[in-house]
Amino acid sequence: MTLPSAQATLLDRAPGFKHAKPVRDGRTRKNKLRYGLTVLAFLLPSAVPLAAFTLGPMIAALWVSLNKWNLLAPMKFVGLDNYSKLLSDGSTGAVFLHTIYFIAGYLPLVYIGGLALALALNTALKGRSLLRGVYFLPVVTSWIVVALVWRWLLSPSNGVVNTVLGFFGIVGPGWWTDPTWAMPSIIIASAWKDLGFVMVILLAGLQAISPDMYDAAKVDGAGWWRRLFSITLPLLSPSTFFVLVISLINGFQVFDQVYAMTGGGPNGSSQVVVLEVYDLTFRYGRAGEASALSWMLFIVILAVTVIQVRGQRRWVTYG
Amino acid sequence: MYHKLAAGIGLAGVAAILLAGCTAAPAPSGPVTITYSNFISNGGNEANLAKIVAAFEKANPTITVKVTTLPYDAYGTALQTDLAAGTEADVFDINGPSAYSPLESNGSLAQLNGVDGSLYNKALLDSYATDGKQYGLPTSFSDVVLYYNKDLFDAAGVSYPTAQWTWADETKAAKKLTDAATGVFGDHQPVTYYEYYKVLVQNGESLLNADQTKAAFNTPGGIEAAKWLVEKSGTTMPTIEQGQGTADFDTNLFKNGKLAMLHSGIWVFGAFADTPANWDIAVEPGNKKVANAVFSNAVGVSAKSKHSAEAQKWAEFLSSSDDAVNVRLDASWELPTIADTAKLKTYLDKGKPANRQAVFDAAKNIAAAPSIGDNQSKMQDIITAALIEAQAGRQTVEAALADAETKVNALLKG
Amino acid sequence: MADAAILGPHTPRSSSASRRTIGFVTLHVVIIIGAMLMFFPFLWTIITSITPGATLTSTPALIPANPSLQAYQRLFAERPFGQVVLNSLFIAAITTAAQLVTSSTAAYAFSRLPFRGQGVVFAFYLATMMIPFQVLIVPLFVELKSFGLLNTYLGAILPTLASAFGIFLLRQAINQVPRELDEAATLDGAGHFRIFFQIILPNISPALATLTVFAFMGSWNSFLWPLVVLRDPQLQTLPIALAGLQGQYISDWDVIMAGSVVSIIPMLALYIFAQKYVIQGVASSGIK
Repeated sequence: MTLPSAQATLLDRAPGFKHAKPVRDGRTRKNKLRYGLTVLAFLLPSAVPLAAFTLGPMIAALWVSLNKWNLLAPMKFVGLDNYSKLLSDGSTGAVFLHTIYFIAGYLPLVYIGGLALALALNTALKGRSLLRGVYFLPVVTSWIVVALVWRWLLSPSNGVVNTVLGFFGIVGPGWWTDPTWAMPSIIIASAWKDLGFVMVILLAGLQAISPDMYDAAKVDGAGWWRRLFSITLPLLSPSTFFVLVISLINGFQVFDQVYAMTGGGPNGSSQVVVLEVYDLTFRYGRAGEASALSWMLFIVILAVTVIQVRGQRRWVTYG
Repeated sequence: MYHKLAAGIGLAGVAAILLAGCTAAPAPSGPVTITYSNFISNGGNEANLAKIVAAFEKANPTITVKVTTLPYDAYGTALQTDLAAGTEADVFDINGPSAYSPLESNGSLAQLNGVDGSLYNKALLDSYATDGKQYGLPTSFSDVVLYYNKDLFDAAGVSYPTAQWTWADETKAAKKLTDAATGVFGDHQPVTYYEYYKVLVQNGESLLNADQTKAAFNTPGGIEAAKWLVEKSGTTMPTIEQGQGTADFDTNLFKNGKLAMLHSGIWVFGAFADTPANWDIAVEPGNKKVANAVFSNAVGVSAKSKHSAEAQKWAEFLSSSDDAVNVRLDASWELPTIADTAKLKTYLDKGKPANRQAVFDAAKNIAAAPSIGDNQSKMQDIITAALIEAQAGRQTVEAALADAETKVNALLKG
Repeated sequence: MADAAILGPHTPRSSSASRRTIGFVTLHVVIIIGAMLMFFPFLWTIITSITPGATLTSTPALIPANPSLQAYQRLFAERPFGQVVLNSLFIAAITTAAQLVTSSTAAYAFSRLPFRGQGVVFAFYLATMMIPFQVLIVPLFVELKSFGLLNTYLGAILPTLASAFGIFLLRQAINQVPRELDEAATLDGAGHFRIFFQIILPNISPALATLTVFAFMGSWNSFLWPLVVLRDPQLQTLPIALAGLQGQYISDWDVIMAGSVVSIIPMLALYIFAQKYVIQGVASSGIK
């Protein structure tokens, strides 16, 4: 592919000149078509499955949300009834609140913990490959097992946590048997399980930072804390951005751990949106409302993600 | 342009759903294959089910049964997905009368004609019939009885449970048997919906009114029944904080000789088989009358099945044939639902417990379980949550029941 | 080295050596305690799997009384567990390969091929992650039924061919590859396909290795979709078989834990294998 002649002349005059982006302004119709086909070629492998198997069913679910359906009998069109029913029901606000509570507790814990882990295991620590493997173990363990273990660890009367607290003279709470402590129990177990996931993502990002970046700072006499904030974190920001977006999208849809640890209880105190969707669809025979609730959740997640994506210009720096 | 593509695919998705009702071409005659989807053989009985299938196919050479086995917990999800898409099997398991009710009311089950009702335990058969028409056949049942540790009773000088016992007798015995020093508890009964509807009947009350349109449990008798369950916690039974309510907690306690009396199902006979202590079972004491929780599984024929005659044959064979009965008895795989208890004699001599007759005695007085269609699960959740609030001491029994009554009435009103 | 960046505050040279050692040792200790906490549930799973008749309540004994492998024997004897593992491996392998292809191509487009409406299209891509799967199951099931793909491997795999998660992950990685490399290649006469294969892909191998692990893991542990679409016992996957170990009334916990161990090991092996590529990839990257 040859460069248009004007640019070739520029390069002759100033060999060091570099474009910010490769130029593909497609001056000729042939170029434009070529370019368009290239874009299609790169996008179709993913666009077709996503459109057919996710976007399609999403639109079908939108249609279901305008109907009353118990999965057994034919659907009955009810317009926006499901939405108004959900919006006027207090429990809808409650499940959203519980979900946001989960995210607010989980996100800082898992990011800071994962970051600390990644920083520590990025050093010349002995046995760090083994350690990286061990920290990833919870990520690959199913929630059935993890929930069992944490319910046992947090057992109010003889669990390890309350026993240890007892040594310090603190009476441990009821954890997952107590409405006030059910969600914190889930948060702790979730953060613990996903630490390895965040660690892996951030490690990959850390590995991409060249060590020479720190030489100048060390010569300037910057301490490790300063180096962390002025060099490491900014260079890590693309990975951080990724972790935040994914964690938020997944956090809003938290399901497995709540289902396994508390089933939404006690007395609905840990009921989250997707568990409500599941109950409505498969246990209460209200698939229409379930779809409506899912679409409400979708709007929330979309809004949050758009804010994040727009905001990334302020703090995410790409190498 | 991608928006259009997405919209086009979306419309295709909607069209697919709308077209789901269309039927395919009629099936040819001759050798027939029917599909059977189940959960009852899960967890160790797959080979036993295969034996029953083999016997059926031998007796009916033109029919082949294709079996699909699904996990118990996820069976409901899979079945409902099938029914929504029209891909359900010809014969499929029904998880009790409460699952039967929405299936029947939504027309998912085929009417079964010409079933010989005399072959079946009448009460069980009736729980799968509506307005005199049969829509399901019970395949197995189990019930809840009172287990008791004879050694602990002897040591405390308490006489064994009898058929005349009432709640007061049980409480008295439990208090005598509870010994904080040795960590022995006198009694354990789960605090859930499944116990509550039964103890209401035992106390002459009922969960819902006659036409199941309103809650009927918030009465003095209903409160008394709730207290019967709730007040054990912390006195003769461990509390939730101590682990009550978690999986296998009660059976472990009994196995380790730390529990004198246990309300549980006959399905834990096997778990207690090598318990060193002497134990036996008795029919649960009632209060105003004797009533017992009987759980059953059934099979139904899909209303859309193209081989309903063959499907019904298989359903009948699975639920009442001698072959099926014998396989179940040999494998201790729950109990068949046949009326002729003479055929079940071998069950009585199978080892611990000695008083296996109690299993059949309990099935003579069944506490009818409410069955209200689509809202069944939600109602059960409401009741269990209220009972747990009372048990944990976060609400008084009266307040919890009053709350539950409001919620259940709102739910039933739709 | 990066380790110096976090080991201890900058102090006068004379005591920095000893400070560094203390910091180092403390770090080691904390990390190892943390690792034990991470490893503990896995250890508990293994111990339960070799304890016949194990139950869940009460403290698990660190050294079981009568250890035996009967749980594993029962696992493979009583049900076609071997076939189940093969099914899971097959489906996960194809899914992972497919997602590597679809994610890298789409990520390249979003990073290097500006076009009108790119932001909107990317938004649609991300949007596919924002609706809970529980509500998509039934429409998806009906759709695949209309294609006649129920109860087939293809039916299990098709919905997982592309993943917005993978596309997003790789896009971030490609964004970090300096465009100078692209331009140098362009000057040499390379087109987009050459740049994609020869410049971009080699430079994002840590991200590719990471995606391999996560894609495989997502497919390996997937439960709801294989449950409804694969009914033939010869086709069912590992999570379904594991759920089937829990009976209606009672469960054999030692067998269930044995199943969990069998389920975890291939995942762990893949992760350890992939980690080598994450580090190797960085060493050979063209930065500098």
